[in-house]
Amino acid sequence: MSDTDAGPWAELVQLGTKKAMQGLSEMIGADIEVNDLSLKCVPVTEVSGAFGGREKDAVGIYLSVSGSADGHLMLMYEPRIALAFVDLLMGQPISTTDSLDGMGRSALGEMGNVIGAFFLNAIADATGLALSPSPPSVMTDMAGALLDVVSADILLTQDDTYIAEATFRVHGQDISGVFMVMPTQELFETIIASTKVA
Amino acid sequence: MVTAAAEQALGLGEWAVSRTPGEVLTCLGLGSCVAIAIHDASVPVAGMAHMVLPDSTAGRTSSASPAKFVDLAVPILVAAMVEAGAQPARMRIALVGGASMLEVPGRPNTMQIGDRNVVAARAALAARGFAPREEHVGGTNGRTLRLHVATGQVDVSTAGQRG
Repeated sequence: MSDTDAGPWAELVQLGTKKAMQGLSEMIGADIEVNDLSLKCVPVTEVSGAFGGREKDAVGIYLSVSGSADGHLMLMYEPRIALAFVDLLMGQPISTTDSLDGMGRSALGEMGNVIGAFFLNAIADATGLALSPSPPSVMTDMAGALLDVVSADILLTQDDTYIAEATFRVHGQDISGVFMVMPTQELFETIIASTKVA
Repeated sequence: MVTAAAEQALGLGEWAVSRTPGEVLTCLGLGSCVAIAIHDASVPVAGMAHMVLPDSTAGRTSSASPAKFVDLAVPILVAAMVEAGAQPARMRIALVGGASMLEVPGRPNTMQIGDRNVVAARAALAARGFAPREEHVGGTNGRTLRLHVATGQVDVSTAGQRG
């Protein structure tokens, strides 16, 4: 992963994130304003720093990527943010949901489906690659333990990865979270090669 | 959670040996990763490694952190303990982590990595004549491990159990 390649990759992630937010906006029937989207290349071993530490409680929505190449998508939120999403998805006032039950997990899984599909479709359309998401897994645990799911696979082939941190505004409330697009080296190289051909 | 000043938290692929009484070596939020905690009360000296992958021969990185691999980290840690004054016969060893955080369709490596880490750690220890006296491994929950240098006390907690 070089700085030269970061430009096209950043453009693709921004495009994909914008489309994913459009999908989420349609799903919850409310406008979502993306206030801040930053893309960083960080050592895999330091990814949890973006989330405030490995021991912090977190809710993760994970999808693996397959097709032209493999990779990982992980959405991670503080529990209170995840519960706010459940309320938004269920069309109820924020703070209605105070714990994550089966229905809440299912709602977050659906959110993962929509975000994953819109994100990957945007990248696939821009690059001509075939990329599809797995069914989502919704997990609640310490941030570090959730990150192990992707860290082990990524560390097999590389030391650094890209993460996107997004803050957006829904119904007048700021919602922040980490949207991790962690391509394997293979997926990253495949995508960058496709942008050079296109 | 307030982390005490004396805590030394080990990130992915890091290891440490300490002879500082009052210091606590920790691995926070272990999922599929596995950690080994070693203590010799006679010194006292404590050592810990936070390992991510079972086998260095499967890796394709030019990483500067060999301790991310179980097969490389265990001999490094044992040698460092001996250098710090520990005697192999007096080492008490705990093995922690190796959970299966999720099952991913079509990604068997991810699915089994926790189990493979535990198997590799037991094998690497056995090859040097060691066996863990204490194990907190497998399952589907993340864990935090703390090892007190002065006493050798091992604390293991899961999400929501920290006090």
